[in-house]
Amino acid sequence: MNRRNFLRTTAAATAGFAALAASLAPLRELKNFSSVDEFMQKYYKELTPEEMGRVLKRIEDQVEREYGLRPHVRDLKPMDGVEFVYCLNLTRCIGCRKCVHACVAENNLSRNPEIQYIRVLRMPHGSIDMEKAEHNYSPESVPEKGFFYMPVQCQQCQNPPCVKVCPVHATWQEKDGITVIDYDWCIGCRYCEAACPYWARRFNFTKPTVPKDKLNPEMAYLGNRPRRQGVMEKCHFCIQRTRAGRYPACLEVCPTGARKFGNILDPNSEVSYILRSKRVFIQLKEELGTVPRFFYYFDV
Amino acid sequence: MNEAAKKRLVFVGLSSGCLVLTGAFLLELWGHPGSLEAIPAVDPMFTNTATVRVSGAELVRTGGDASGLDCYTCHDKAKRIVLHFDAQQNIILSDAHKDLTMGHGRHNRNNHCFNCHDEANLELLQTRDGRELKLLESSALCGSCHGPTMRDWEAGAHGRKSGFWSAAAGPTERQNCVSCHDPHSPKFPPQKPAPRPHSLRAGGATADEPAKAH
Repeated sequence: MNRRNFLRTTAAATAGFAALAASLAPLRELKNFSSVDEFMQKYYKELTPEEMGRVLKRIEDQVEREYGLRPHVRDLKPMDGVEFVYCLNLTRCIGCRKCVHACVAENNLSRNPEIQYIRVLRMPHGSIDMEKAEHNYSPESVPEKGFFYMPVQCQQCQNPPCVKVCPVHATWQEKDGITVIDYDWCIGCRYCEAACPYWARRFNFTKPTVPKDKLNPEMAYLGNRPRRQGVMEKCHFCIQRTRAGRYPACLEVCPTGARKFGNILDPNSEVSYILRSKRVFIQLKEELGTVPRFFYYFDV
Repeated sequence: MNEAAKKRLVFVGLSSGCLVLTGAFLLELWGHPGSLEAIPAVDPMFTNTATVRVSGAELVRTGGDASGLDCYTCHDKAKRIVLHFDAQQNIILSDAHKDLTMGHGRHNRNNHCFNCHDEANLELLQTRDGRELKLLESSALCGSCHGPTMRDWEAGAHGRKSGFWSAAAGPTERQNCVSCHDPHSPKFPPQKPAPRPHSLRAGGATADEPAKAH
């Protein structure tokens, strides 16, 4: 190889590699590729308590780095002899949407783009016709004459279609009735979103944005810990609260007391009383055979 | 074409392809996803768990101004109270009680002070069956007429609860009738609704034109 050839080849090769490197520039934006530990993490159900402890610490470290606040992340297990049921009184609901925003605050949901677990439908009196349902109503005050309101969120089905379609078993039903998602196992294929007849599942198209001062530090692994871009999420009956014995956030904020929650296996709980003695008229889209644990009822 | 020329061609082709890509990325020919429209933070009133009104008992508990509960700072114990009615049999409220809305029951059937208040002792309430109750223990009075609602409330099916669903884990707080219902006008007051969802979908809701829910 002579001198001229050598210089020419080297120059061309340098230019070529530089061009290649520059053309891969968009890869630099893949910032949220986190630690090796996260990548190598085992399936949730296979984690030993010590491994779970390390995972929780890793999550706490990550949240602290990002939000400047040390959270308290727990892996709460289902309680024995407990199966959760939700009852919602359609006679009482006035459609004020406070439940929607209490849920956003409690569960560290993305503020922009907006992710909300609860959708409040407004329907004209007379029938439950989803075709006539409207969720963008915004009058000066509610309730409006001639309408009733029906909040819809995850129905925690006994026969959940979303669980059946998940190709990686990242979502499953726990023995207290809550269908959970492991955000570290989800591949974001959105099959579950398509399978859900209640439109209850939400996808993180972008990295969720939660203002640092609005972060709720009381977290659960299967609950409200911050999600990544590209994973599914949905209502989990405030697992971080309800598995610690507390009421969910949407229930506590409801100004009319339309929302009722409890253990159906306890005959003295309010949900048992309601299912026994009230006009519980539907499980939404009952004909699909999903058997929701979310019941709508009337007072009269 | 000889081998060397072929190699050179492939190399030049790849390099120029990469150069074009580089140029395209630098010039942002594909563009970046447009920045999202700002969504104002939701008013804290919509995440507030307070009841819609402050009951007398709550006022006393939190050390607020409960002077409105001392009837005999204005009324005279020895003097009998005379109620005044207009031509339609509506009660005429004195100036001191102008803040009350008399709206208990339909057709103006239960808007008489002494259906609930004790005529002889204003600091007491009286039920129809003759029991006397303290002013701050009014739930039993409500229950003396609203039996089924009282039964539901006792079972936890009517009214607001907060705290713990599990008695083993902690206490449950239950609100009284008058924490949500004004006894003089018990219908639940209309509320301002929280902002509606901001849709990301193309062709979704705009400020002027709400889209249909699916």
